[in-house]
Amino acid sequence: MMYPRYANPYVIGVLLGLVLLFAFYTMGRGLGSSSTFARVVAAGVALTAPDHAKKAPYLSKYVSQKRPPLMSWLVFLTLGAGLGGLFSAFISNRIKGEVVRGPSIGVSARLWLALAGGILSGFAARLARGCTSGQALTGAAELAFGSWIFMFSIFAGAYATAYFFRKEWL
Amino acid sequence: MGPLYKLGWFDFAYSLQMAALTGFLFGFVLERAGFGNARKLTAIFYLRDFAVLKVMFTAIVVCMLGLLYFSVFGWLDLSRVYLLPTHIWPQIAGGLILGIGFVMGGYCPTTSVVATVSGKLDGLIFIGGMILGSFIFAELFPLLEGFYEAGAMGAVRLSNVLKINAGIIALLVCLMAVGAYGFVEKVEQKFGDRDTLPIGSKRMKRTGAALLVLFGLILAIINPDRIVAERAKTAPILPERRSEAVKPVPPKAEKSATPGFVIVEDEGC
Repeated sequence: MMYPRYANPYVIGVLLGLVLLFAFYTMGRGLGSSSTFARVVAAGVALTAPDHAKKAPYLSKYVSQKRPPLMSWLVFLTLGAGLGGLFSAFISNRIKGEVVRGPSIGVSARLWLALAGGILSGFAARLARGCTSGQALTGAAELAFGSWIFMFSIFAGAYATAYFFRKEWL
Repeated sequence: MGPLYKLGWFDFAYSLQMAALTGFLFGFVLERAGFGNARKLTAIFYLRDFAVLKVMFTAIVVCMLGLLYFSVFGWLDLSRVYLLPTHIWPQIAGGLILGIGFVMGGYCPTTSVVATVSGKLDGLIFIGGMILGSFIFAELFPLLEGFYEAGAMGAVRLSNVLKINAGIIALLVCLMAVGAYGFVEKVEQKFGDRDTLPIGSKRMKRTGAALLVLFGLILAIINPDRIVAERAKTAPILPERRSEAVKPVPPKAEKSATPGFVIVEDEGC
């Protein structure tokens, strides 16, 4: 057995849909998280090299606003997501220090791949103006054209390369 | 009538508290589904467990139906809901790269946060990678700017591009979801591990599928686009009602109802 049995995905899907609808109704916008990490970058650069942060064409859009880069709706949403995940893992006794990997890959190889995958994801999310939640989930629920194309592109990219990473997971 | 924030029901500080609450629920349901575990997430790419697809499609369909019905009932002004603009080429390229990053790293941005808080070191490393990746993008931006803006189509919906009304699109999405559920369940039964696949009665699934199709069919018949357009024509009623709704909130509310208030900087992901 690779992992325990979790909650029924259809039930979770309905609940997630309602959370998303709640965000739309209260805020007029959907969920998301990837720009949190771009804002962390912006805040870090603004702290260490303030001139560069103001001049760099992409970061400046986070820095030049009237509020500090981390005072943002999505940053607080991501913090909340961390707390919610922590609470759920806690009540099911699932908090455990580990490196998730298949039986035929070592710890260090898995961590290098996690880093590389993270770099690609961070880059791609900025390029596409969003990630699986901000673009695919939120946009698709609004029937945004580009978000549907984006979602199918994610599946295409992952299925096309899954074969090369089979030893990492199976 | 919603969206509440854009109609001045509460201020920025309160919106951040709403963000934390919404995020809490978001993270909670993701962890419940097992999305803090990279093996559960990537099992979809080896045809063993389609939880990712089921959760995503169900959430999309439920929220889509909610948005359209809310707009038909006049509870939500969809024109005030932020719609992601389409930039077709960077979205295709970004999607492909994000997909590779997903199967390579085991997570997507939000799920890596949930993984990290439940103690997965690979989740934390993935977050570090995302920060690095965002930094690389920001530094390379002068080179990428042309491509980043390529294929701009504005904030368009499927109904604008395909020139079909939103009700029929909604029905098609419902039908596609039900078809996808049926297909992936067959694939799962063949390749998956029966001990970890979810349990659920056939009757519940059939009822759920029938309900989705029914809700989609009603939308296709009543045509939400037409109803919203007709309501806009009989406009005089609407602004009055809006100012009524806004009244209990101090003067700031008046200002926030003007278009200048709309926050545009980062409403994407």
